[in-house]
Amino acid sequence: MQWVVATAAFLASAVEFVEAFTIVLVVGVTVNWRSALLGALAAAATLAILVATLGTALVQWVPIDVLRTVIGTLLLLFGLKWLKNAIMRYAGLKARHDEQAIYEETRAELRARGEVEASSPRFDLFGFLLSYKSVLLEGLEVAFIVITFGLSAASSTVSRSSGIASAALGALGAFLLVILVGAIVRVPLAKVPENTLKFVVGIMLTTFGTFWLGEGFGVEWPLSDAFLLILIAIYLGASFLLTVWLKQVKKQQQAQAIENQPALATGQSKEVMR
Amino acid sequence: MKVIKAIYNFIVGDMVILIGVMLAVTVLALVNNISALAPLKGFSGPFLVIAVLASLTATLSREAFSSRR
Repeated sequence: MQWVVATAAFLASAVEFVEAFTIVLVVGVTVNWRSALLGALAAAATLAILVATLGTALVQWVPIDVLRTVIGTLLLLFGLKWLKNAIMRYAGLKARHDEQAIYEETRAELRARGEVEASSPRFDLFGFLLSYKSVLLEGLEVAFIVITFGLSAASSTVSRSSGIASAALGALGAFLLVILVGAIVRVPLAKVPENTLKFVVGIMLTTFGTFWLGEGFGVEWPLSDAFLLILIAIYLGASFLLTVWLKQVKKQQQAQAIENQPALATGQSKEVMR
Repeated sequence: MKVIKAIYNFIVGDMVILIGVMLAVTVLALVNNISALAPLKGFSGPFLVIAVLASLTATLSREAFSSRR
């Protein structure tokens, strides 16, 4: 057992697992757990097939930068869409529970027609794909970490397989720790209001999307993965400012509408009098 | 056409966001692949963040001042 390799792999993998798990967690809480877990399992199966067929050649054959660019772009598109809707709800430009109301209405209609069971959580393609992409990308990064750390540890005294086994054990430890922490925070997270969760999802997806898209184009973010926290802060600050601005715009529009109403009413009554 | 529209609505459903992100990706690809633009590589990160914020602001402005609302 190479403790230095295992510890380095543990720390590096923990960061990747936290990134993947964050998205699976928010998809589970906001969309549904069935889609989130199915996506994560499908990604794990894809990863297992890739690792089993390519082995250590994975590092040479999978174009990680292309993958980061594609997944980053998609996450950015999804994230901005969610963020926009959440900000509009906070600013009062959109009804807070419109999507939930539409979903419940459709569900009630389907239930009345006997097309859906009351207790079955519906499969959501959006949730499934989000979970799948994130777990696949982060899982691939963990596979890269294990293989590169393991191979770089190989020397005249340490075999390649021993190095990879130590790195794999470190990554496994990180995986178990992240799952444990995730299971603990899952329950309190479910009590957070719906729009707040959707806002958090929007911030997370936009942050990861920006980060991965940048990495795909060779951007070297300052502080490496810790820059994610700075990106979160930037997007939170910008969203706050945008919400405040939109609230002011809405107030001005309402005031203008009230001002115009009496003038309209007076004009109409004059016409009636004639 | 229906399939394309369904995919568009599923992924983004907002033309301003789509154009903003695609423009940012195009600029980054150009900076990354054209050697004459290589000195600008250091600004790719800040550019991307600014492009994302600009797209978000643009789409929200459109919604706020839209006559359809």
